[in-house]
Amino acid sequence: MTTLESILRALRGAGDQGVAGTQVSSALGISRTAIWSHIQELRQLGYDIEATSHRGYRLLRVPDSLLGEDLMSQLPQERLIGRSITIYRETASTNLLVDQRAMHGESEGWVVFAESQTRGRGRLGRSWVSPAGKGLWFSVLLRPPLRPPEMTQLTVISATALSRAIRQVTGLQPEIKWPNDILIQGKKVAGVLTEMSAETDRVSHAALGIGINVNLEASDFPSELQPVATSLQIEKGEPIHRSTLAVALLKALDEDYARICKGSFQEVAREWADQCITLGKRVRIHQLDHSYLGVAESIDPEGALMIRTEHGELERVTGGDVTLEKEP
Amino acid sequence: MDLKDIKAIVDLMKKNSISEFELEREEFKIKLKRGLQGGTQGGGDELPIAYHPIPQALPQAMAAAPEQAPAATQAPQASAKASTDLEITSPMIGSFYASPSPDSPPYVEIGTKVGPETVVCIVEAMKVMNEIKAEVSGVITEILVDNAKPVEFGQAMFRVRPN
Repeated sequence: MTTLESILRALRGAGDQGVAGTQVSSALGISRTAIWSHIQELRQLGYDIEATSHRGYRLLRVPDSLLGEDLMSQLPQERLIGRSITIYRETASTNLLVDQRAMHGESEGWVVFAESQTRGRGRLGRSWVSPAGKGLWFSVLLRPPLRPPEMTQLTVISATALSRAIRQVTGLQPEIKWPNDILIQGKKVAGVLTEMSAETDRVSHAALGIGINVNLEASDFPSELQPVATSLQIEKGEPIHRSTLAVALLKALDEDYARICKGSFQEVAREWADQCITLGKRVRIHQLDHSYLGVAESIDPEGALMIRTEHGELERVTGGDVTLEKEP
Repeated sequence: MDLKDIKAIVDLMKKNSISEFELEREEFKIKLKRGLQGGTQGGGDELPIAYHPIPQALPQAMAAAPEQAPAATQAPQASAKASTDLEITSPMIGSFYASPSPDSPPYVEIGTKVGPETVVCIVEAMKVMNEIKAEVSGVITEILVDNAKPVEFGQAMFRVRPN
């Protein structure tokens, strides 16, 4: 734990009571002057910290910028995801950073956020709008104890964790569109891109990339996305504190990842299927060169979507795009 | 086996870009070849026969799909030993993508030299993108799956002549 993280943990732990400089300095084993210089550093980052002789230091307000130490200070000390967090002001794509670091031996649980991405990506080379300071654009480095065919479990936990964290922090009711698009009022608010590096029977690492449109305004989206994309701010009618949401989401991811690692995938999958609005709907399955209609009948034990086609056949769908059709 | 069965095999060969097929039973033996030299129409997925003179193993999808080829699992095992080419197989059920995006060129083509770390395609299952590496050094001699088509676990997607 870094000193900055420890100080923030102490400040948050003390809450309105405040904490004395002497107490922090003896707990951390550093001088009161050193504490003071860290407090100054935090103030420069936009943290409003009151210092009085009778109450000591008191955290009054935190900025809506991302600070790795501050996110870590709000996570449980026992954790895997978010064990170490790095924030980039700007990068091409956070999944790319995870891939590079993973090859250099970075251990599991490293999380990298970017305030903005210049080449934020979706599936198949599609771009992801990632304007500065308005969303949460991040990736998690995982080394799951799963075989390649089981990696779809990551898709399921990303959906359950996103849905839970968004509900908790905003009070909005997110819906899951199979397999892991997060929608509010039918419009996409968050998406996931998981890229893995594997040999035939072993996964070496995976980058779980998540994008959440937090405080984007309608005008931040290109016009072709405006009918289908939204942000939490647009839906809630007020800005959402990004670091609060980031902490809730990292916690939820850590919980659900721990569940699949100990073999409780079916339990998570049930929660996921319960929130999946695709089930029972008329859908169109888009492959690269053709598409077909059907009804999403069920989800199989691996999470694949079972589609009853217009010709009455049951198709197992794992890839392509699934869009909801207007009910006739 | 009648003409209808043979036609079904030919259709499957076209669909899966298979250029040679051999099946041997007690009472008969059938060998089918298709490709540029065989006078077919020469679409983008047609392959010159010269790349694979020795009978190859069947992709799993072929073996699993048609009732028309009942001995499919036996015949290729015998002939696969003779082959010098290696197969790159799919580690999971999913969709095969030959290029990183629909607008970009494919990762590899026939004749592309690959190393163990060369990415040859993506297999996607439920939004998990698996970049498949060649895991061998050699030259791609055959691409067995069409872009965006489903692949089965263990299905051969490429043949590589190792060097």
